[in-house]
Amino acid sequence: MLKINQLISGYGSVQILNGANMKVEKQSIVALLGGNGTGKSTILRAASGLIRSWRGTIEFNGEQIQNLPAHEIVGRGLVQVTQGKDVFPAMSVTENLKLGGFILKSKQQLLDNLEKVYNYFPRLNERKDQLAATLSGGELQMLCIGRGLMSNPKMIMLDEPSAALAPQIVLDIFKNINRIRQDGLTVLVVEQNVRMALLLADYGYVIKDGVINVEGDSKKLMYDESVKESYLGGTKANV
Amino acid sequence: MFNKLRIGKKGENIIFGTFVLLYIGWCVNSPDMNIESLKSVLTIGLSVGIIYGLVALGISLIYTGLDVVNFSHGEFFMIGAFAGLTMFNLLGNQDWIFNVFPDAYGWIIYVVCLFTAFVSMGLFGVFIERVFLRPLTKKGGGYTVAGMGIIICGFGLSVVLINVAYLIWNPVAKPFPAELGLPMEIGGLFLPITYIWMIVVGLSVAAGLWFFLNKTKMGLGIRAVAYSKDVSNLVGINVPLYISIIFGIACAIAGIGGTLVGPTYQVVVFMGYIILMKAFAAAVVGGFGNLPGAIVGGFTVGIFETASSFYISGSHKDLYAFLLMIVVLMIKPTGFFGVQVKMKA
Repeated sequence: MLKINQLISGYGSVQILNGANMKVEKQSIVALLGGNGTGKSTILRAASGLIRSWRGTIEFNGEQIQNLPAHEIVGRGLVQVTQGKDVFPAMSVTENLKLGGFILKSKQQLLDNLEKVYNYFPRLNERKDQLAATLSGGELQMLCIGRGLMSNPKMIMLDEPSAALAPQIVLDIFKNINRIRQDGLTVLVVEQNVRMALLLADYGYVIKDGVINVEGDSKKLMYDESVKESYLGGTKANV
Repeated sequence: MFNKLRIGKKGENIIFGTFVLLYIGWCVNSPDMNIESLKSVLTIGLSVGIIYGLVALGISLIYTGLDVVNFSHGEFFMIGAFAGLTMFNLLGNQDWIFNVFPDAYGWIIYVVCLFTAFVSMGLFGVFIERVFLRPLTKKGGGYTVAGMGIIICGFGLSVVLINVAYLIWNPVAKPFPAELGLPMEIGGLFLPITYIWMIVVGLSVAAGLWFFLNKTKMGLGIRAVAYSKDVSNLVGINVPLYISIIFGIACAIAGIGGTLVGPTYQVVVFMGYIILMKAFAAAVVGGFGNLPGAIVGGFTVGIFETASSFYISGSHKDLYAFLLMIVVLMIKPTGFFGVQVKMKA
């Protein structure tokens, strides 16, 4: 569904990605793992059009989408879900969600999607009139995922959904991500929480220094030495 | 964009309140003080204040939406006044308007002038943003606080626009003889009815903007873009288009302000500069980047200025707005509605 081929990109004149390749099959959950500053988020930002791709291609549903304006990429059904802190704090939960469905034409569709998101995350329904600034960390993350689902995407890309959350809440959110996949969406998860991400995903990629050098089945990756190495700088510690 | 009135630190409020009481005491002591003069001070103050408020509204809107301070905003005000005047001169020769609406033709012409100023300045603002400002964002900073180049270019744009207006309309002050009816008597003074008209139209424009931003889908998009351009991109908002819309709306409001001022004062090429400065004072007093704050700040500056020139000394009229700004910055640096933490939308 999403195919990234020899992608080179970065910020300003700093090159972060040095030719990354990866592929996400339809209706699968793929984990993209890597430490700080390895280029995980850069791949997402390039795919969702927030930064320019310098070279290489990004294909979505067989069409090249690199360097399209970000709102057109959303229109094609590829949506990036930001980390929990990136909500509109002075707006209510419902308003935040409605903003997620900004590209929808019909009002009925918007209400249907709102219903669908509340179905995934009943907690948001309880808090629908509260300002987003008053939500807890887990609820914010649910809000971000819900906002991503509002525009009827075909594929969502999650940027560290477990960042700074308690394990119990992470588990809850990951269960919901699995449910979202069962309902027909494709999911790409960028994570630092290796164990949890590999439990969730079918397939994993490990990125280091802007190049994806290890990939494989998530069950296999979980016991792979190079994954540990990539995370812990070669020291022999248990992940 | 919309923050609640900030209850400041106790000390701040006490010092500020003391200043206000001292000032009121000074005015009450003045020999000119009576209820009649107070009425006319309030009328003139509010009408001048809403003009400052409208320009401040545009400055705040651009500041929240684009993260830059637009130093050429006064020139959009001035060109808006000329756009209204041009329309007025065109329609003034049309006898059929007089024949069809013998009672209300002055009002109809004036409303058309306001509308012309609004639409033409909106389009002109979009044009300026697309052609002159947008290429600058490609290099260095973009529409962020780091985009210092855009701020400097605002000054340059201001000089260019003044000189273009100078070439087209020459520097002679032009009357704007809108026929809106007889003057009214307020507190012993005969004031043109345009003073009331300014307040009514200005408040309607501000209320319309509030409605637009809070109740429409496009307004929701504008508030989202004002808070975060990245997140707006990710929910599928066409951010470059919305930036143009924000700039256009701010300029259109300034244009209405210009046409509102026209009949009361005169239309001159250099009218934008002092209005810009006063509007900055208004925006700072209300809380920079806060939209209701801009209107409240405009009223405060307008009334303070008028009252001071009535009761203290009329020969330093332009001094008072900046005096107020300095006092507010010293005691309550965030203004009436501002917040210290930058939280927008």
